[in-house]
Amino acid sequence: MPEARDVVIIGGGHNGLVTAFYLAKAGFKPLVLERRSQPGGAAITDEFHPGFRCSTLAHAAGPIRPDIIRDMQLQRHGLKLITPDVGVAALSPDGRALILHNDARKSAEEISKFSAKDASRYPQFQQSLAKMGKVIGEVLAMPPPNIDDPSKGDLWGMLQTGRAVRKLGKKDMYRLLRWGPMAVADLAAEYFETELLRATIAARGIFGTFFGPWSAGTNLVLLIRAAGDSHPAGSAHFAAGGMGSVTEAMASAAKAAGAEIRSNVEVIEVRVKDGVAISVVLSTGEEIGTKAVVSNADPKRTLLKLVDPTHLSPDFVQKLQHYRMPGTVAKVNLALSALPNFTALQSTDNGNALSGRIHIGHEIDYLERAFDESKYGNFSRQPYLEIAIPSVSDPSLAPDGQHVMSIYMQYAPYKLKASDWESQRSALGETVVKTVTQYAPNLPELILSHQIITPQDLEETYGMTGGHIFHGELALDQFFTMRPLLDWGRYRTPIQNLYLCGSGTHPGAGLTGGSGANAAREVLKHLRR
Amino acid sequence: MPNNSKYDVIVIGGGHNGLVNAAYLARAGKKVLVLERRHVLGGAAVTEEVFPGFKFSVCSYVVSLLRPEIIRDLDLPRHGLEILPLDGTFTPMPSGDYLWRVNDHGKTHREIARHSRVDAEAYDEFGKAMQAMCRFVKPILSMVPPDPATLNPRELMKLLFIGRRFQGLSSEDKYNQVQLMTMSAVDFLDQWFETDVLKATMSASGIIGTFLGVRSPGTAYVLLHHYMGEIDGAFRAWGFARGGTGAISNAIADAAREAGVEIRTQSPTGKIIVKNGKARGVILQNGDEIYADIVSSSVDPRHTFVNFIEPGNLASEFLEEVNRYKYRGSSGKVNLALNALPDFKCMPGLGNHLRGAISISPSVEYMEKAYDDAKYGNFSRRPYIDCVIPSLTDPSVAPPGKHVMSCFVQYAPYKLRPGLNWDSQKEAFGNNVIDTLAEHAPNIKNIILHKQVVTPLDLEREFGLTEGNIFQGELSLEQLFFLRPVPGWAQFRTPIKNLYMCGSATHPGGGIMGAPGRLAALEILKDSKGSHVKGAA
Repeated sequence: MPEARDVVIIGGGHNGLVTAFYLAKAGFKPLVLERRSQPGGAAITDEFHPGFRCSTLAHAAGPIRPDIIRDMQLQRHGLKLITPDVGVAALSPDGRALILHNDARKSAEEISKFSAKDASRYPQFQQSLAKMGKVIGEVLAMPPPNIDDPSKGDLWGMLQTGRAVRKLGKKDMYRLLRWGPMAVADLAAEYFETELLRATIAARGIFGTFFGPWSAGTNLVLLIRAAGDSHPAGSAHFAAGGMGSVTEAMASAAKAAGAEIRSNVEVIEVRVKDGVAISVVLSTGEEIGTKAVVSNADPKRTLLKLVDPTHLSPDFVQKLQHYRMPGTVAKVNLALSALPNFTALQSTDNGNALSGRIHIGHEIDYLERAFDESKYGNFSRQPYLEIAIPSVSDPSLAPDGQHVMSIYMQYAPYKLKASDWESQRSALGETVVKTVTQYAPNLPELILSHQIITPQDLEETYGMTGGHIFHGELALDQFFTMRPLLDWGRYRTPIQNLYLCGSGTHPGAGLTGGSGANAAREVLKHLRR
Repeated sequence: MPNNSKYDVIVIGGGHNGLVNAAYLARAGKKVLVLERRHVLGGAAVTEEVFPGFKFSVCSYVVSLLRPEIIRDLDLPRHGLEILPLDGTFTPMPSGDYLWRVNDHGKTHREIARHSRVDAEAYDEFGKAMQAMCRFVKPILSMVPPDPATLNPRELMKLLFIGRRFQGLSSEDKYNQVQLMTMSAVDFLDQWFETDVLKATMSASGIIGTFLGVRSPGTAYVLLHHYMGEIDGAFRAWGFARGGTGAISNAIADAAREAGVEIRTQSPTGKIIVKNGKARGVILQNGDEIYADIVSSSVDPRHTFVNFIEPGNLASEFLEEVNRYKYRGSSGKVNLALNALPDFKCMPGLGNHLRGAISISPSVEYMEKAYDDAKYGNFSRRPYIDCVIPSLTDPSVAPPGKHVMSCFVQYAPYKLRPGLNWDSQKEAFGNNVIDTLAEHAPNIKNIILHKQVVTPLDLEREFGLTEGNIFQGELSLEQLFFLRPVPGWAQFRTPIKNLYMCGSATHPGGGIMGAPGRLAALEILKDSKGSHVKGAA
């Protein structure tokens, strides 16, 4: 066996790249092993049709944590963030549209077309969200404390957070306690009367989860997202060249700091001796010895597939098997010969309104009904769609005048009751196209090509167990110190020297780099000992 | 200033909590008056002879959570309280099979093993785990919730106490406890069991009185809440009172009267008299003014603050919070007077399975679909029904040879979809329940002598339960403990001096517990003792 490396990072997803950077910056020499032909994980750009490039999976960033962008100097490594003035255009089947801008005043103007009362409450709501989000943000930035035996650092962190919480003042403190466990539909209804606005805000609490807007705890998801971006419905955080350019810049930064990245390399085993991870074994049979292994793969794949279960206690294995990863979204990417004509956007500056994200799911009940179907093992025939046409603000993605449309379809449950995803693939695509066509009748004639990614593809091609894009449900009991399991929320595993750095750890949700950065801190503590 | 109060305390509402509150205050020497709007005491814990010879437990029909310390302190058995055991839960299945769990441990083990050997083993473990959880949570039931926003060291100690207790749990128990507070009942049970009908029946106690489905996060907590009942020290044991549920309230009323409490029925409150930010008494709907140093309201916040207090006496922010408190009633009741016993297809004839609870909860999907109907403003086409036939064990509630059957039904959403209202839907709702029962016991339609249907609107109109919520407000995480009913006002006090709350809308919530009534009484006594010591007027 060749001499041991410092750290091997399994998987070059965005979190793995972030971890690699911070470890390299600290003077270590991490080796990133990526199974596919290029790193990026779920943040990749693909030329799925000649001349047409699209963010294959994630089409918007979380956003990336500002300190990570700064530390990695991502802009210097080629990242060009695009944040259009329009955050989201929410469409209604009755031909109306609600356009939410980054500018709160402009949003209020748009909302006043629906309700003057809502327009006046919107800035208040954004302020409260920003306040709550800031505190949650502090929690997100700290590694979860050890409950049983908090270290001095843990206590300090908890004290700081406690301070931040108390600084909120009595009223806002209670608000935070109350908001956390709420259903996002209830919160939206407390502030607003316009269904379309309620649904667009509520969507932020359910995107990528196996919950409906009436599910308790979805408000926490909203708050976690608000920590990075306090616009009630979220802004559009795009990048020139698609999400792949984000991870390309990250890879470049990691390499510049001294990390090595190898693609087309599949790790099939993390070899464990006497409870300690000592090496990784590749599909070629090659074994790479290492002082530490950090896995960007999800917790189940890492600990139930890559590690021989005899090294783990049966209790741990059982608990991990209960870690819920119910995939709930699918993706449809379209190459279009022209920009579709959206009925609801005829009277406005069509181009501008489409420069952000587009939301289809006009009522709370619509979203809830879409969720209902998936509970019984069917994909929604009237799904919630989270859409982007990134070529509007980044023409480099398609030939002149032509476009790519990136569509997240929710709810597409990983486990279908009476069928399987392979045989449902085209039905899924048809449903998505049919739904968008209700809002843009000329869509079908513009479609040059399509790419359909089912939950099964998410698992088999992109490595996400259960097809779950966040490596595990964003549920109250799988959050913070309990992500992925209580007692195992600090990026460590029962196998010494084996760590987790992907979304299956705190903070989890979205393309922010938070898990990767936090994990790096923990790994460094160990490596420096 | 001269004190011309006739009473020390007026308790608004003669429900079980109001009566407990009154009894404790009177035993401490207070002169107490209870004002009950209806002609009968008990609130939703009431027995009424709706049809001659048949005594219905109109609303609440089983008991388990009545605090042992209250039974003891008020010597309720001497005042007529006798709880008869409800042995088991019988779940008929459409396949002709059934699941029948009883108090006898061995029998239940064999019965579950009949469905799944693995589940039979897990059931024992589950019981132990739940007991550990109950032991952890129990003291929290008996405590006044701390105020996390305060700097008061006493309050912070309480939080620390809870934190320490949590820390002191074994790793396994910590894991269970966190899960119980946040997960859905089904997700939680999925981790233990594989038998669908078992999970469906067990998860049913996670949705009682909530507007949630068995797969909704937060229902595992409600499951625990219902598990905490104990009878004679045995956890998770349910029973019913001889003479119907009203016998419980009557026993408490008896104890209260013995302690000197004056109780007036048919005395509906009109307004609470507030002068200079202090509660001074009550004006009845007929105009009578009654004065007291303290007013203790056992009715819900909507009645207390919105109906009974003139606007202007309460800050608009507080009223906003009160209006945010969610009720969302989801239950109904169908009470039947029967000529004979129902005959279940899957276990024909008379048997002990009729002496326990009969649960129509054949599968998780069935339970979830029942909830789906309610979300969109319809009563469940195929509802969850929990039936008890108390007359088999307590012949006093029906004429010889005849029976009463109490059917608790979910879901019956208070807010029906546009175009429908509960008065016009009442009959259809009742018939639907009977149709559902008939699928399992086809003879039911032939044996019904009389039928009483109680809709959420009836619960609101007749029993003062806003939006028909049986717990005076949903038991959802954001309105429990130090958030119940309103953040900052979870310690039985209100922004109005000398006005207290003592009903299910306060900690620890609903069910026939009596805990809110008792805790509120202790806080009232603490406050009045304080003022005596300080010599304030």
